[in-house]
Amino acid sequence: MSVVLRNAQRAVPVRRAPLRRALCALRAALGASRFDVGLVCAGNGLMRRLNGAYRQRPEPTDVLSFPFHRVAAGELPRPSCRDEYNLGDIFLGVEYIHQQCRATGEDFDSVLAVTAAHGLCHLLGYRHNTKPEWQQMYQKELEILEELNRLTGASLRPLTAGLF
Amino acid sequence: MLLARALRAAAAALRPPLRHPPRRLLSSSSSSSSPRALLPPPGAAPPLARSLWQLGGGGWRTALLRPRRGSAGGVSCGCGGLHTEGDKAFAQFLSDEIKEEKKIQKHKSLPKVSGGWELEVHGTEAKLVRKVAGEKITVTFNINNSIPPSVEDETQEEQKPDEQEPDLTSTPNFVVEVIKDDTKQTLVLDCHYPEDEVGHEGEEESDIFTIREVSFQPTGESDWKDTNYTLNTDSLDWALYDHLMDFLADRGVDNTFADELIELSTALEHQEYIKFLEDLKSFVKCQ
Repeated sequence: MSVVLRNAQRAVPVRRAPLRRALCALRAALGASRFDVGLVCAGNGLMRRLNGAYRQRPEPTDVLSFPFHRVAAGELPRPSCRDEYNLGDIFLGVEYIHQQCRATGEDFDSVLAVTAAHGLCHLLGYRHNTKPEWQQMYQKELEILEELNRLTGASLRPLTAGLF
Repeated sequence: MLLARALRAAAAALRPPLRHPPRRLLSSSSSSSSPRALLPPPGAAPPLARSLWQLGGGGWRTALLRPRRGSAGGVSCGCGGLHTEGDKAFAQFLSDEIKEEKKIQKHKSLPKVSGGWELEVHGTEAKLVRKVAGEKITVTFNINNSIPPSVEDETQEEQKPDEQEPDLTSTPNFVVEVIKDDTKQTLVLDCHYPEDEVGHEGEEESDIFTIREVSFQPTGESDWKDTNYTLNTDSLDWALYDHLMDFLADRGVDNTFADELIELSTALEHQEYIKFLEDLKSFVKCQ
């Protein structure tokens, strides 16, 4: 039930309170409020290291998700004890995202929220390796972002829009 | 000096008194501070002392003025301190150490902290002050005991002998005070660096600094008021904690500031360490 947020970088100013609010709302929209989740705001160095270690791509990226449970898309984990009420950790490449936003003119805080939504869906088994997988994930992202938009008045769209 | 004084006392006991002896030579009592009181009466001379004087050929005064080299190598410099071979070796060691420390000194002058902070240093305590709108923000820290002990881990065990040791980093606790012009209360936030994670190479996965305690204290009073409520963040609601962190960030106390404070504190600590070594060398050597 906790959202553990860490800001481990100094490259980009990050507003913690609104990011936490967004993540809590997105988690609730997924029906997973009972589960802990970790969110680390990371710089390019950390993202490069993790991407290289776990995906053999030693380059910065926007988001990496490390699920605690292996579940099928759309299913919630079935924990057997209190310690297993954990979705896993999301590493947000805030420096990478900020650089992208500067290039595209998009709003940084909005893209952070959208990327966090994408990372959360990955923790719950959603993938986008094939078109059917992408369609399923896109739908879920749309659904939870619409809930966030309803609460905040924003107009956020899924990160995977136009991927296939 | 004590040794030299004892040697003179022994010599004085053996020689005959002169008509106008130098005051120092007749200080036969090591604890006496008044040579005049120690002048023996004229004519009173032990026979043994005369024969020794005659044997010495009259050169005894010069011999007594010249320091005798005992096993401790005493030196009569008049400073009132003990001088030993150990002291000499210690002073030489300190000279070498000071030279080496100055060679590796990263900052000859204290680095600036970005964001318009003014620095005041009083010995080991430093204060950064910033004014923004109607607020005064003060960040205070002390470099004493600010270097965490190094953690023994597998990485260190695998380190080759010729590799350089990691640099020592000063990560002091720091206190942020926020004073608003229109209130008589100061918001005080006690901040710490995580103990196990700073100093390692590469980015870590933790907050660069944390808020540990928060309290209101009367503005302008130096004494801490124990009866004022102190919020401990150990069991604090996470959302409230994030608001406090955002509050600090808005006033310039963010991760960038925390990193730059480490640079400043490390430089100040090194400076004070070198100064201490220099003072210690002067104290031991007695120039």
